[in-house]
Amino acid sequence: MALPNKVLPGFSAALWMQTGATPTALTVTQLSTWTAEVQNIVGTAAGGSGSAGEIVPVEGIPAFGQDDASANFGVAGSRQSDIIPTQSKPTSMTINAAWNPSDPALLLIRGDAYNGTIDRTYVISVYDGANVVAYAFNGRVGEFKIETATNAEAKCTFTIHPRGNQYGWSNNT
Amino acid sequence: MTTQQNVLDYATAIQAQLSAVANPVPVYANFNRNFASQPKFVTWQLRNVHQPVYTGQVQSIKGIDTPIFQASVFGQQMQDAFGIANTIIQALHGYSGQFGGSGGFDVSKIDINWLYNTYDDQVKLHQIILDCRMYIPC
Repeated sequence: MALPNKVLPGFSAALWMQTGATPTALTVTQLSTWTAEVQNIVGTAAGGSGSAGEIVPVEGIPAFGQDDASANFGVAGSRQSDIIPTQSKPTSMTINAAWNPSDPALLLIRGDAYNGTIDRTYVISVYDGANVVAYAFNGRVGEFKIETATNAEAKCTFTIHPRGNQYGWSNNT
Repeated sequence: MTTQQNVLDYATAIQAQLSAVANPVPVYANFNRNFASQPKFVTWQLRNVHQPVYTGQVQSIKGIDTPIFQASVFGQQMQDAFGIANTIIQALHGYSGQFGGSGGFDVSKIDINWLYNTYDDQVKLHQIILDCRMYIPC
């Protein structure tokens, strides 16, 4: 099998999370290891096994990755200064989900938000029907709000703050 | 995680609920073939069935359904048509609870929008069109 080599629609991405109220987050090495590690968190619908993970019923996957930060330096004798990337944080993900008060994944996230210090491994899978690319990271939940607009379904909003340097890419090839 | 609702349940419940509300005025789906001889009746149609589908490959990640059934009130007398329409609005606008009797389902709310009333000179019937949106938890 080969990596998906095509442009995919945005909704082919899905968010998965480790189960358990007090999970053991994957190590940095494991975050980059598909077989028996990331694979266990991704469900069968996206090419994984799902033995240690479950789907998070989110409306869409927000932007993820690395924030920007830089510093300017004046260089003597040069017309242009120099701009250097500096240490920056991973992008926080603020996520909307239709609120089902009994959904097991949302209950775990709600618990994480109240706790504040639980590290949990999340995986964003992108699946073309046969092959999957996975971005795994460890994160803590920093927000959990429920919005009940009267003319629509109830939503919950939560923010996952990824831990620095705790991420990995893998695939099922 | 939500399931796709059964539209046949919708239709059965709408017929049952409207019949109970409008009683003794008869209720029909789509069309009354005896329109020329019945002085007043109600028909209904269902539309806009749609549960939004969210991201990912898991089919059950959906939102709630908010379908609309259009109730069309017919009457040879204008006051009959307005009276039936008022009965439906009084009974169902803002209604929350079991919909369609014991075989039905729960609605969080029904929101009725009176679109217009009109008169058809060919069939000699006053008509009132009510859009009834159901918010169905799932």
